[in-house]
Formats: sequence, C-alpha cells, structure tokens
Amino acid sequence: MYLARVDGTLTATCKHETLEGCRFLVAQRLEADGRASGEPVVVIDRLGARRGTIVLVSTDGDALRRTQGNTVPARLSVVGIVDEVAGGAH
Amino acid sequence: MRLGIVRGHVVLHTAAPSLRGTRLVIVEPVTAENLASGNRRGGGKALVVADHLDPGLGQMVAFVEGREAANPYHPGKAPVDAYCALIVDDGVDFRPPREGGASPSGQAKG
Repeated sequence: MYLARVDGTLTATCKHETLEGCRFLVAQRLEADGRASGEPVVVIDRLGARRGTIVLVSTDGDALRRTQGNTVPARLSVVGIVDEVAGGAH
Repeated sequence: MRLGIVRGHVVLHTAAPSLRGTRLVIVEPVTAENLASGNRRGGGKALVVADHLDPGLGQMVAFVEGREAANPYHPGKAPVDAYCALIVDDGVDFRPPREGGASPSGQAKG
C-alpha cells in the first residue's frame, strides 16, 4: 500500500466489461516528504475520494477480483481516504 | 494502471496459441509533466500492450501491468504482462498543485 494524491479524474466509455460503473482517479504516488513521484496512475475508487485529497492505494489485485470478477484487468484501488499524516510533510 | 498514447500496433508472423485473437498495440506512457500540460505527448519508455478494445493511433489508454494483465484470459492463461483496460474519453482533467513540482507550467486540461 502507498499514499497518493488525487490530481484528476477520467472517463472512459470504452473499457473492459468488468470495469463498468467504476470511478477512475488519476493520482500520483507520494514520497515520505510529501512530494509526488513517478508517472501518474489510474486508480479505481469506490469511496468517493475528491481532487486534492490523499488516499491509501492498495496494489492487491485480488481485492478487485472479488468485487469486479476474476477477469478484471486492474490492480490499484483506493482503500482509504487519509485524514492526517503524522511526521511527514504532507 | 498507467496512462499511455497509442503509437502503432504489432503483427506477429508466429504467435503463442494463447495470444491468438489478441491485438498488440505499441504504447508510449505519459509522464506527469506531459499529462499536466495536455500536449498529447508521452515521454515514457514504449511497451507492447495486449488489447481487445481497438484504440486508434494517438488515443490515450490506461493499461494494467503485471499479473493482473492476464486476468482477462481467465480461466485460461496467457503470457501477457500488459493489457489495455480502457480508452480515455476526452483527455484527462489532471491538475497537480504547482508546488508539487509535477507541473512546471501549471496548465490544466489535456
């Protein structure tokens, strides 16, 4: 799991059938000092995270398989919306 | 999933049986800077992505990598480690805060 900042959203009319009804966020992984790093990632969100919030992202693809079916081509999902990060520069 | 721009596709002369019926597209991943500026450029290292959605040249897609890329072939197996999961509709509304260092221009919309 890691922390990421929600910097955008996207819509996709054409997608794998198991992703129907999913909400897609575009997020950037955060380093320990709170800075964004790496390429942006698309994360599936069922918790209603908004732009600018920090979320907890799980890379457990099995979590998505349980809800979307065995053939879902996705791994990243939001498993928490962060209230506060102590000790960092977030 | 990462975002990428479709730059072409690959036709195989001979393929592993499990790959038959799978289209292979060449995708250039999009960096945060390019996504924020909306310049339709990629900037990442190109890779080959298995696809059943048929995106056009220049379209932006999201692709999953690793073990989950073979999920669509379940219960079969396929030697696939990148799979096109969706075609982005109309650019991405991506606006990182300026102090994050990810958006030198601070421009939104892509």
